[in-house]
Amino acid sequence: MSSQPQSFSSLKSYVPRHGPFDPCPPIGCKYYSTPPNLYVGFQPPGLPQFSPREALKKGTLWKVFYDYYDNPYRKGGRSRG
Amino acid sequence: MANPLPKEYYQQLEEIQAADFVMYELILYLDTHPHDPQALVQYKQFAQYSKQLKQAFEAQFGPLQQNSPNTSTAEWTWSTSPWPWQV
Repeated sequence: MSSQPQSFSSLKSYVPRHGPFDPCPPIGCKYYSTPPNLYVGFQPPGLPQFSPREALKKGTLWKVFYDYYDNPYRKGGRSRG
Repeated sequence: MANPLPKEYYQQLEEIQAADFVMYELILYLDTHPHDPQALVQYKQFAQYSKQLKQAFEAQFGPLQQNSPNTSTAEWTWSTSPWPWQV
């Protein structure tokens, strides 16, 4: 749920290299999240805000910092044991 | 449970939580932006609003904190009213 069409996703992934002599099975795809606050820097005044109830549910007062997280590993991603 | 709590107990509690959440968010924001007039006004608003909500809630349902300033009832009700985790 975000106002502008998000061209990028805050969920990023990479595949660690699996060497030929690596005894362990390949890890596959690993995910990490890059929340909006990394891109905002020093917060400018007067950002749009949620209503109090919505802010309580969403965990942040300012719309720009809202970062929904769902577990990429559970959704079909390779679930690490 | 002994006596189920009335519905407005939870409604008022959620309203207090929402007001407090906004207040604390603004406190953290004001720590780094002390000269932002708009946030200061909003913070004062919500601090006042939260105080009113708490006073109304405590008059009706008993103290929210152990050291709540307005103990309306004569006897000590902190240890008798339902504990926060039993709510």
